[in-house]
Amino acid sequence: MPINNNILTLKEIDFSYNHQHKTLSNINFNVARGEFWGIIGPNGSGKTTLLKIISGILKPNKGRVFFQNQDLNNLSRGEIAKLISLVPQDTWVSFNFKVKEIVFMGRLPYIARWKGETLEDYRISKEAMEKTQSLPLAEKNIFHISGGERQRVFLAKALAQTPKLLLLDEFASHLDLNYQYEMLKLLKNALKDEGLTIISVFHDLNLASISSHRLLLLKEGKIEKVGIPEEVLTSENLQRVYGMKPILIKHPKSQVPQILL
Amino acid sequence: MDWKNYMKYFTNNQNLKVNMGYTSWRKKIRVIFFLGILGILGTSLLCLNFGVVSIQPRVIFSILSHRSAESTNYLIIWQLRIPRIIMAILAGIALSTVGAAFQGILRNPLADPYILGVSAGAALGACIGIALEYISGYYLTFYLPLFSFLGAIFSLFLVYKSSKVSLSEGSSGLLLGGVAITFLFSALITILLAFSKSELHSMLFWLMGDLSTASWNKISIIVLPVLLGCFLIFFSSLDLNALALGEEEALHLGVNTSKLRVRIFITGSLIIASVVSFTGIIGFVGLIIPHITRLLVGPDHRIMLPASAFLGAIFLILCDTLARFIIAPTEIPIGAITASIGAPLFIYLLKRGYQ
Repeated sequence: MPINNNILTLKEIDFSYNHQHKTLSNINFNVARGEFWGIIGPNGSGKTTLLKIISGILKPNKGRVFFQNQDLNNLSRGEIAKLISLVPQDTWVSFNFKVKEIVFMGRLPYIARWKGETLEDYRISKEAMEKTQSLPLAEKNIFHISGGERQRVFLAKALAQTPKLLLLDEFASHLDLNYQYEMLKLLKNALKDEGLTIISVFHDLNLASISSHRLLLLKEGKIEKVGIPEEVLTSENLQRVYGMKPILIKHPKSQVPQILL
Repeated sequence: MDWKNYMKYFTNNQNLKVNMGYTSWRKKIRVIFFLGILGILGTSLLCLNFGVVSIQPRVIFSILSHRSAESTNYLIIWQLRIPRIIMAILAGIALSTVGAAFQGILRNPLADPYILGVSAGAALGACIGIALEYISGYYLTFYLPLFSFLGAIFSLFLVYKSSKVSLSEGSSGLLLGGVAITFLFSALITILLAFSKSELHSMLFWLMGDLSTASWNKISIIVLPVLLGCFLIFFSSLDLNALALGEEEALHLGVNTSKLRVRIFITGSLIIASVVSFTGIIGFVGLIIPHITRLLVGPDHRIMLPASAFLGAIFLILCDTLARFIIAPTEIPIGAITASIGAPLFIYLLKRGYQ
């Protein structure tokens, strides 16, 4: 097993839902501690499936996932929950919990069922709400806040889990521009202050390019290209994967590639 | 941790009533238990006064405090009214706790042991047990809950198979399957009872529920499975909370959802089977009570499950008193009362779109 600064290692991962068509094949990559990774690719290229493999919800047919040099298969769900948390795309809740109760659920992996929570759990939940600017929402009911606010609350919940690795599934997909900008700022802060590592699935290539240290481009379940945004978002790569030739320009501030139609 | 340390831990935590914007759930749960037990005692004492034979409250009091010797009134109070009230309490606790747990596990506020066909399965199981008792001549009353349990598990299995969806989706397909199974099993009960001799309990007893046959003997059989089962479900409260965020979110929070589902369904069936084997099918309690409780105390299962158990007990004592009282000396089946309150609420929930 490799001993290095990698927090996550995927080795020769194959996965299929129905044994006929491979959803993912031969996936290999290493994520270093403290990096922000973006997973991109067209619809049906296996982005969300890859995220579920990383979080251990789906078991690969072949290959192994190592988290901090430990095989994910050897960890229980409870142990994984202390290391990896996820902000889902679908934030539907079946009962009308208060925002502070939802955030508090992030502490579940740490609470012994016969003993109940401690002051520490309250403190961490409150801090998570402060960091995500959702503290003013604390007493509101989850049914009565907007989609953007909901995503912030779920980010707070994921941070209350005090993970080492934060996974996001298209966090910006149906957010207004100002919320996209805010979420991005919150994530950058979390990355800096908490020593987190972040892996996010992106639908929006420009947002992916601006946010990520490294991008992973998927096509039909295979890795097409991994690298910094300048290496991945080239017109040849995009033509091969998306089948069209876009116009590439440099972002005037951060110099990362941006795509125009 | 020994007892003294535990007590210290408990009392220390009294100081943290509101901390970081959170109210300690220990405090909340103490309030719920205090109000709940007070409510049950109050309602029970009040409802002891109602019945075919009118007994003065003063007489009841002296009977309860053992100052009155054996008499007809003594028998009516101790052998008829009190067992009946205790049966109502147990049935109320059982039906509302399991209803709330089923709603949590299926993520659907319309789920309930009655709608899901579990009650009907348990009733059919008990009827088969009674039929066997008559055919074989063995005394099987002690084993009736076991027959009910097998019936309940069997009906859950059928509902699951017939709805063709995975339990994790918690879709309304499962509820439709449950309704179909309830119809089928009710029909089977009717047929079975039509074949049997008239000394069997009346059909109405099994199909609409009835507490008039309550006795200390029956109470002693079901009290442990009901209370222990509810306690077990209560220990899954946090996991049920997590499940409200969705199957995958619960997994990400470290909850083993498939084990949780098996645990809740088996425990729930056991609790329902114990009650149904002696009370028949009492519908809609597991639907109304958790719904009202959520409105009163919020959806946190740690608070909501015990609150809903207490409220269910109080509700069933009241319903049973109504059943005895409205057109006394004739009794109305208690299930008819709960259904006439529950069915409209069910329709209301359907129209409001499940929330």
